[in-house]
Amino acid sequence: MTDGLAGRAERRQHIAEQAGNSSGRVFQAIGSSIEVANVTKRYGPFCAADDISLTIQPGEFITLLGPSGSGKTTLLNLIAGFQKLDSGEILVDGKPIHHVPTHRRGFGMVFQSYALFPNMTVSQNVGFPLRMAGMDRETTERRVAETLEIMRLSEHALKTPSQMSGGQQQRVAIARAIVMRPKVVLMDEPLSALDRRLRESIQIEIRELHQTIGSTILFVTHDQGEALTMSDRIAVLDAGKIVQVATPVELYRHPETRFVASFVGESNLIEAEIVQKRGSTMTLKNKAGYVFNAESRNAIDVGRATVLVRPERIAISNEPASNTTQATVTSAIFLGEILRIEAKMESGETLLIRCSDIAGRAMPSPGDTIHVSWGAEDCWVLA
Amino acid sequence: MSMAVAGSLRGARAASFSEQLRKPVWLLVPAACFLAFIYLLPLFDLVRISLSGPSWATHFERVFAVSLYWDSLVRTIKISATVAFLCLLFGYPTALLIHRSKGIVQVLIATAIVLPYFIAILIRTYAWMVLLGRNGPINKLAIWLGILDEPAQLLFNRGSVLLGMTAVLLPLMVLSIYSSVSRLDPSLKRAALASGAGPLAVFWRVLLPLTLPGIGAGVLIVFVTALGFFITPTLLGGPADQMFAMHITQQADFATSEGFLQALAVVLLTITLGVVAVAGKFLGYEFIWGGGKLVEATPTPSETRGRDKSARQRSIGTFFADAIGWPLLRLVGRLPASFGTWTVRLMGGFVVLALMVPIIVVMIISFSKASFLTFPPPGFSLRWYEKFFSDPEWMAAFFNSLTIALMSSALAVTLGTAAAMGVVRGTFKGKTAVMLLLVSPVIVPPVVLGLSLYSLFLRFDMVGTTWGLAAAHAIGGIPLVVVVIAASLQGVDPRLEQAAAVHGASPLRVFRTVTLPAIAPGVAAAAFFAFLHSFDELVLSLFLSSAQLKTLPLRLWADVNYQLNPVLAVVSTLEVLLVVGGIALARPVLARSRGAI
Repeated sequence: MTDGLAGRAERRQHIAEQAGNSSGRVFQAIGSSIEVANVTKRYGPFCAADDISLTIQPGEFITLLGPSGSGKTTLLNLIAGFQKLDSGEILVDGKPIHHVPTHRRGFGMVFQSYALFPNMTVSQNVGFPLRMAGMDRETTERRVAETLEIMRLSEHALKTPSQMSGGQQQRVAIARAIVMRPKVVLMDEPLSALDRRLRESIQIEIRELHQTIGSTILFVTHDQGEALTMSDRIAVLDAGKIVQVATPVELYRHPETRFVASFVGESNLIEAEIVQKRGSTMTLKNKAGYVFNAESRNAIDVGRATVLVRPERIAISNEPASNTTQATVTSAIFLGEILRIEAKMESGETLLIRCSDIAGRAMPSPGDTIHVSWGAEDCWVLA
Repeated sequence: MSMAVAGSLRGARAASFSEQLRKPVWLLVPAACFLAFIYLLPLFDLVRISLSGPSWATHFERVFAVSLYWDSLVRTIKISATVAFLCLLFGYPTALLIHRSKGIVQVLIATAIVLPYFIAILIRTYAWMVLLGRNGPINKLAIWLGILDEPAQLLFNRGSVLLGMTAVLLPLMVLSIYSSVSRLDPSLKRAALASGAGPLAVFWRVLLPLTLPGIGAGVLIVFVTALGFFITPTLLGGPADQMFAMHITQQADFATSEGFLQALAVVLLTITLGVVAVAGKFLGYEFIWGGGKLVEATPTPSETRGRDKSARQRSIGTFFADAIGWPLLRLVGRLPASFGTWTVRLMGGFVVLALMVPIIVVMIISFSKASFLTFPPPGFSLRWYEKFFSDPEWMAAFFNSLTIALMSSALAVTLGTAAAMGVVRGTFKGKTAVMLLLVSPVIVPPVVLGLSLYSLFLRFDMVGTTWGLAAAHAIGGIPLVVVVIAASLQGVDPRLEQAAAVHGASPLRVFRTVTLPAIAPGVAAAAFFAFLHSFDELVLSLFLSSAQLKTLPLRLWADVNYQLNPVLAVVSTLEVLLVVGGIALARPVLARSRGAI
């Protein structure tokens, strides 16, 4: 996993070099590193951020993921400087910033409500940070034009925000956030006000933008799918604490806690007893006596464990075979490219299964008996 | 066959006729008839009489030729403009202070602004007379501090007029701006900060431009109200501070000035309506009732004006903006946030003090032992309360006011609620015009209204009757009711009413079971406002009451002009208690319809 990260950083370095060689018009910033060290923020008795530490690499796309009230927006506001932290430190490129007021931090920011100034046109909105930074009119106009071109908004330059659709408004907001070529761009649930199709297309747009501009992007969302799609790394928050920081693949395959397992993706959590441990593989037995192997990085080798099996990793068949266990279908829904089946295992646990629709195979119906199985590489023993 | 067709056709026509009758538009009729008779008719009459000289312009020529009136007109406009400016200067920081404070502090500050808003202008002016008087706390404090050697005459000059009028009208401005500020998306400020704008640059580039509608509405309401002001300048001003409305009441004492008198009133009315009309063009007439746009039957296409204008201004504007504007903005933006915070706190705090201290001083004085006005009181007693409650004249005035206010409130609520239903639920063109007519009585200077009603009351022998006064007071009560009820009605989801109708409820039953419960708090608040409006009303009563029918404000007015005694403080204290009680009951509704008149 760490290889992947290094690979991305290398590729970005490569892009940066190319950009430097080719033309000055290509947008390029070298992102800052951000170090959040033991940050705590309380509102009365409620602890919104509880001793949070997080290191963000230069140029990284990191997502703060968590349910509402988990502290992700608080952490973003602390980094942006909208709120004062109670204790701890935030360092950007090694320098503490919590005494720097927001308007001198030099970050770009995108808001959930777009927050475009309704009294200004699109180009005035995008030019606002440049003018505040003291750039002259010509530079401002040139940079605004370049940025609008990147965001494919050139023809809207003279419109006011109220004349544009939600998706266009959010692209303007993004343009305003990147026009200064900031080293850090903060995004506070920027896509949650948009409908699904638009959200997906802007997700891709933001990802590509990140490849181009190279800024460090700190992205806040409660949507796990969005986090998986976009991020280099994801920090999962729960109740004011960071639970796990990992790449999307690592997070999905090897969650460290039950919370992460159930918050990121759909999951089956099966209670089982550890029979044997050999290297990174464990042999377990569930309540109904089904014996199976699972991957594990845990130190424990006796007692009970919770095993994560992703719904799409479960194989089903109508006939019993070696090493399968029996389950009774309780519901089966046809979702187009896949079937979503719920079945009750002999242990009493409900199993969620997602399998591709195979031509010629009959749809299971409630009450049918099916035989399910999974391989060692398909399940993961939680701590 | 053909018989059957004809029958069904007739049936259809009959049904459509009764359906027509059931349309909410008809609910406007009672209020329209009432206002046409007692409000529009007298005003038309007023204009007719003013034009009835040898030539139509005779009386008007005199108004503009005699320097007494011309000077007074110019003075009135100057004073009103100054008051509007002062209200803006102090009102904006106060509105920001309310917006930025939280929890109980916010409630207290908001109460300190809203409470005086509901107390009679007469009483608040009286409080300033007490405060600024020779034996008042300000003189006493100045002597104690050694600033003055002997009490100074702080009253009866231009300064005291401006101070009094600004204090009286400030709540209007604060509420108007607050409703604009509180509607702003808070992330706009954050976006500006994140874009590198300093706190004061954020104020100048984002906050101020976006609250311009609220500022415009506030300035206009204050300016227009000040134009027709009569009570405060009469009590606090000297001979050199005569405002135009005061000439009208003075002339009203001479029966010979028929025609000329009306011409004076028409001039004041024309200027007021002219200002409102011009302002309405730019702001939309909604500013009068402080509400959002009404849903019209046919939506007008939204205009995108100002585009070519901004293009034209660009060439000249850009030079100044580049040379001075942006650098200055960046410089100002470097000022720390605490600079703005403290400006807001100090000015807002000053306003809260200026609004609350006079009321508190008057309340303390009402318990004074002394037989004249002095502060601090030499001792405390209830003697003035005893005097008030044992004086048959005061009690008679009190019960007259109570009766009239209850009748007036009932009338205003009945007509106003029906009219509000008609406006909000009806589908017809020209809603804005209808709403404008319904709320226009708040714009018409009370002196003009009083004068016009006087001839109507004479003709129908209504002068000095309880119901006549109640009806006159209801003219000003209806706008308050319409605004509050329309706001509550817009908060009721029409789909709830549709749901009730779908499940078999008749229109009347829908109103009783769905609509009325939802707007009940609004109706209660509206009734209270209409009651207070009548209970506090002085100017109309000056024209329309008789020696036999004295109201409480009339008794107060007589006493304020002859002898400033502590009984007035007792009445003021009782009024404050009444308002506090009312606000406590109406608070939930008030929060929703804030910014209404």
